[in-house]
Amino acid sequence: MDTPLVLKILYSLISLAVITIWGLSLGGIVRKIYARVQGRIGPPFWQPFIDIIKTYGKRTAVTHGIMFFLGPVFRIAGGIGTYLFIPAILGSTIFSNFSVSGDVLLVMYFIFFGQLGMALGAGESGHPYSAIGVARGLAQMTAFEVPFALSIIAIVIQYHTLNITTIVLAQQGSILNWTLFTNPLATIAALIALLGMNMHNPFSVVLAPQEIPIGPPTEFHGSYLALMQTNRGIFNAAKLVLYMNLFFGGATNIFALIIKTFSIYMISVVVGVSFPRFRTDQSIKFFLFVPTLIALLAIIILVL
Amino acid sequence: MVNPIMIFILFLGTAFLFALFDKIHRKFSFAILQLVLLINTFIAGQWLYKFVFTSQTPVMIFTAGFKPPFSINLRMGLEEAFILFAVNFVGLLSALYLSKSFKHSKVYPLVLYLMMIMGVNGIVMTRDLFNLFVFLEISSISTYALIALKENEQRLASGFKYMIASGLASVFFLLGTIFIYHITGTLNIDQIITHKSFVITSLGFLSVFTLMMSLIIELKPFPANGWALDVYQTTTSGVVSIIAVANSAGVFYAFYKLLPLIPHNQLLFIAGIGIVSFLFSNLIAIKQTDSRRLLGYSSIAQIGLLITVTALTRYLHVKSSTSLFIISSIFLSNFIAKAGLFWIAGIIKKTHIKEWAILRFKPGLLIIFGVFIFALVGIPPFPNFWAKWDLIRFLALSKLHIWIILILLGSLLEAFYLFRWFGSIVRSEQNEEQLLQPAYKTVPIIIFFLLLIIISIGIPIHIYQFDILPLLPIVGLLILSIFDFLPSKLKAIISMIIIAGYTLYIYPVLSGVSLVFAFIFLAGSFIQLIATMSRKGTDKGFFPLLVGMILSMGSLLVARSSLEFFFAWELMTITAYMLVLRGRKAEKPALLFILFSLAGAYLLLSGLSYAHVINFSLVGLGTIPISAHMLPITAFILIVVAFLIKVGAVGFHIWLPGSYAEAEDDTTSFMSSILSKTGIFGMLILLLFLLKMNMHHSALFTSMLGWIGIFTVFFGSLMAIFQEDVKYLLAYSSMGQLGYIVLCMAAMSHLGWVSGLYLAVNHLFFKAMILLAVAGVISRVGTRNMYEMGGLIKKMPYSFISVLIGIIALSGVPPLSGFGAKWLIYTALLEKGWYFRAGLSFFASAIAFLYLFRLIHTIFLGQPKPQHQNVKEASPFFLIPQFLFIFAIMAISMFPNLIIKPLSTFINPYFASTIQWQGNTLYSSLGYWNGNLVMYVTMGVFMLLLIWLIISIGRVQKVKQFNIVFAAERPFKPTTTHFAHNFYAHYKRALGTFVRPVTTGFWNGVGEWISSAAGSIRQIYSGNGQTYVLYILLYFIVLYFIMGGK
Amino acid sequence: MRYTLILGFILFMIGLWAMLTRKNLFKIVIGFSIIDTGVHLIIVTIGYLSGKTAPILDKLVTPANAVQKVVDPIPSALVLTAIVIGLAVTALMLSYVVRLYKRRKSLSIEDYRELKW
Repeated sequence: MDTPLVLKILYSLISLAVITIWGLSLGGIVRKIYARVQGRIGPPFWQPFIDIIKTYGKRTAVTHGIMFFLGPVFRIAGGIGTYLFIPAILGSTIFSNFSVSGDVLLVMYFIFFGQLGMALGAGESGHPYSAIGVARGLAQMTAFEVPFALSIIAIVIQYHTLNITTIVLAQQGSILNWTLFTNPLATIAALIALLGMNMHNPFSVVLAPQEIPIGPPTEFHGSYLALMQTNRGIFNAAKLVLYMNLFFGGATNIFALIIKTFSIYMISVVVGVSFPRFRTDQSIKFFLFVPTLIALLAIIILVL
Repeated sequence: MVNPIMIFILFLGTAFLFALFDKIHRKFSFAILQLVLLINTFIAGQWLYKFVFTSQTPVMIFTAGFKPPFSINLRMGLEEAFILFAVNFVGLLSALYLSKSFKHSKVYPLVLYLMMIMGVNGIVMTRDLFNLFVFLEISSISTYALIALKENEQRLASGFKYMIASGLASVFFLLGTIFIYHITGTLNIDQIITHKSFVITSLGFLSVFTLMMSLIIELKPFPANGWALDVYQTTTSGVVSIIAVANSAGVFYAFYKLLPLIPHNQLLFIAGIGIVSFLFSNLIAIKQTDSRRLLGYSSIAQIGLLITVTALTRYLHVKSSTSLFIISSIFLSNFIAKAGLFWIAGIIKKTHIKEWAILRFKPGLLIIFGVFIFALVGIPPFPNFWAKWDLIRFLALSKLHIWIILILLGSLLEAFYLFRWFGSIVRSEQNEEQLLQPAYKTVPIIIFFLLLIIISIGIPIHIYQFDILPLLPIVGLLILSIFDFLPSKLKAIISMIIIAGYTLYIYPVLSGVSLVFAFIFLAGSFIQLIATMSRKGTDKGFFPLLVGMILSMGSLLVARSSLEFFFAWELMTITAYMLVLRGRKAEKPALLFILFSLAGAYLLLSGLSYAHVINFSLVGLGTIPISAHMLPITAFILIVVAFLIKVGAVGFHIWLPGSYAEAEDDTTSFMSSILSKTGIFGMLILLLFLLKMNMHHSALFTSMLGWIGIFTVFFGSLMAIFQEDVKYLLAYSSMGQLGYIVLCMAAMSHLGWVSGLYLAVNHLFFKAMILLAVAGVISRVGTRNMYEMGGLIKKMPYSFISVLIGIIALSGVPPLSGFGAKWLIYTALLEKGWYFRAGLSFFASAIAFLYLFRLIHTIFLGQPKPQHQNVKEASPFFLIPQFLFIFAIMAISMFPNLIIKPLSTFINPYFASTIQWQGNTLYSSLGYWNGNLVMYVTMGVFMLLLIWLIISIGRVQKVKQFNIVFAAERPFKPTTTHFAHNFYAHYKRALGTFVRPVTTGFWNGVGEWISSAAGSIRQIYSGNGQTYVLYILLYFIVLYFIMGGK
Repeated sequence: MRYTLILGFILFMIGLWAMLTRKNLFKIVIGFSIIDTGVHLIIVTIGYLSGKTAPILDKLVTPANAVQKVVDPIPSALVLTAIVIGLAVTALMLSYVVRLYKRRKSLSIEDYRELKW
């Protein structure tokens, strides 16, 4: 708390700007990759920026009510908040964000903040597809939360702390100190959970463009949608940063951050392009079986 | 002092002259009859007064100028005076009750009636064995004859069966008498008892056995009692109440008198006879639908209990004053209640128990009926309660475990059918019918009712030296009953004043953790009372019960001894039961509630009895020195299960959803947010005891408790997501939340307890908010099915806000107070090393999102229904308490220190603290959390973005509900467009196996098994008088061999 | 003495047998009556001391030698009472039977079984 508050806010804004740009670009890159895998040329990697600017520019805007109006705000506040509670780069004042607010538990629960608000906003639109999407999304979320939580418990056992910075510090020195190598089972479980979090195939039934046109955000448009698109970049990046910190030794500078998050993201992208979609109940069963067992094994090994 | 012999002179003298009196006028002879009974009551009463309040010693009255054995002598002692008073008094009242029958009958029934009562008087006083036989016969013969008063075929048939059965029994009595005379050479009971060593010879044993068995047969033991049941079923009410109570009292006293003849080692067999009768009669009664036969079963059961208790106290050499107290309390409860119930039966004039529903329209009579039933079951403050308390204590001290189990099991069965009856009356939908309540019938009932009340209040004050403190709940209940005619709003205010006053009164006693629970119980109730002002009209009965319940919870906090604690616990249970029963469809749930609650109470009772401390309470705890053996393992398990039932832990939870859901809507909020915490409070005391002593395996116990807690969380949450009924959803949610508290308490660490108490307080806030908001919604839309609602956010915005804040606080999403709970819980669990439990609770808390979203979405969001076009916001009385709670939640969300610091201080005496503060940041050994900063960051980000959105979006247009992008389709109607029903079908497909009603199935199975057992056992009552004679004979023979006859 | 005792028991058993097996209400009452008689016989027998006389004070039996001369008077007194009581009960039973017969025109105990369970 040495840094004055104003400076702190300024730093956070910088940090936020960087992560927003990186997050959105990452999205663009992934679309490019998808296109290439499917034999298309695909949009340029800056396409997300163009999309956002375009949607902001829409003139007409309707609202279904106050919660509908607030939904996107909740959503992006959730994304930004999640990021702000994670120390992004070890030792950097600018990128330490507001991580003094709380430990990894705070981050885990703050993830829900945006999802809840979004769900409420989508709910007020009265669109059945939104509700269906939310029902699916929440259901899937409860399932992947299990391996994710268990692998975090495994990390806590391993490092005796909930403090993210301490966890990152403990992984410094050598690549072999990374949780990835010291605790591979927990990492695998968490990465499988990440597939669900990112809602790529095979866990994309929440958005299911052909069935329930993009699910929860169906009714959102214009500035609402722009906010949500922005959030998609930030939130994605925030999750990746969290994973990087917990399992991949964190980052000591911005380049390490970019490389590591990119690599982590590629895992779900690769899986995403190679698999078809699960039904909701199938993905629930999957998450509660394979990755959960792996994570439990990780804990058992540590306790023993 | 009047010589007791005057009693006989009066009876006989007037009986002979009755034909003469009757010539004058029937009114005159009837007045004489009543005068005789009145004088005799007075004589007995005078003796009773002397024995109780002065140091009068028992008196022997000799006759014929000889000393025994050459003459008959009578005894007048405390016991005799007591029974005589009761018998003559009930005779007097029953005569009044029968006045109309007597008016139209011939004169003989009047004479017979006098003879019957005289016979009982004689049975009680005489000390001569043969004389006893004569009096037994006098009362029996007059009874046989009286049964045919208002003759009909069934009465005649049952009377005949009664005669042959009872006649055979008296033949045996005669045989026994003569053999005893042959052996001892005397008929004087006292002399026989002093020479009782003759019993060891086989002839001696046979004769005593024959004598006692015939008395026991007269007491109608199972299964040799079919004839008695027929008589109970058919005989006219006034007469049957005399048979069931006065005659039984006499015969029971004869049994009591002769019991010393039974060798010490045979006493347990006698007790066994009683307990078999008690258990099986209560079991069979479950299947009974004829009201009088039901009462008959209950009578027989109670007499069986009396036999057991008499034999057991004798077996254990319990101090005579104590054993007298226990026996007389059970005796009195049955005596008063049974007579009263049979009298009420005579007013109702309906046979089937369901037809008693007309009582519903006679509140006065219904209350009396209820009180009699509560007295039979042993609800405090009625005499049976105290008797049970002392009895179980003695049995536990003497390690007669099996007897405790059997007695409590039988009591539970009895409670089941009595409460089922009561509930079916209260909740019946039958229409009003004309019901004649002539004064001559109601006056006896009211007098007995008042007598019962006086005795019940006298016992705690005089015998247990209770001061006013533990009795305050009853006082509160009575005060509100007096004001029950006032409008609800006024009564709510009176209730609030009473609760505030009570809080001030007990405040000096409170400290530490009891402050926390006082806050939950009393302050929580105080605020929620505002919501009850929305009740219309006078709404009779609600406020007395509510205040009674709230003050009993307060009583739990300040109880100084185990007895006071248990007293408060039972009071709370019964008032809560009555409150649940007020729900429109609450008949079955309320029955489940009281059954499980009573089962829990009995477990608590036996647990407390096995404990080696007599002050199981928070206040009492401080006065106890540390000892390793305060609570044996048995006591610990029994008590913990009792509390687990109260919180609705998995396996014992099936009472919970129904009673929460079907209770009235504002009651549900009290039950879920406040009442359920009493189980936690009890558990806290128990764990504090555990801390004070080093019990073996205590770590194992708390670990198991932790697992029970987490499974409760898991299954509660999982079941909540599949409910369509909003109140069921919230009920299961409560179950889950309480599971968290159990889990935290079980962690037995500083952080664990802090988080448990934090959650308890937080749960009060958010659950009360949500439930009151939902109550408001239900009051407006008139349905509890969530899919029938929708889009109510625009109609009821304030209720929406409150539910929104509530679900955020419940789910644990930062920045609201719920996250504090989660942070504390996980930190505590990880600190403790309970990793799997932590993992499972992550899962459960994610599942909570599902039902919470469903709750808010299907009610407030989505498509509004056309029928709710004109729905208005809920009544302000609902909204005010909600907003007070919102304020509380906001306060502790902004400044978590407000609550965590004091909690931590309260826990400090028990555990070393593992948390510390730096400014607003809370540090545990594992992590840290600054609730204050989280709030600022979140609010800051949120506000900035909101402003940005408002600026960037410009002008927005509001659209109608169907203006949605519906894939080129036109939405058909709101009902089909609102995605709400079976919301989580996919989840059911994936995890449905976990919510199969295994527990319900198990308990249903238990219920069915008991019911079919009862159904088959009662087949033994074939209705054939000869069969009954055979049973008596077999009963003799079998018991003779069982008891080791040679 | 022994013989009367045995006789008493035999009567008792006969009566019991009648009560348990005869369907006719009158016969059941008679059975009860026989039991009663048997018991009375037993009572008297128990009080009897062989070779002694009735407990009545007269020329032979004076208050001074009564104890040696007479049988135990108490059982005799008792049996009188018992007989009276037995009579009352039997009479009452018979009147019940008559009333029952008047109503249903049946004397079989099997016909009075509606009340059960």
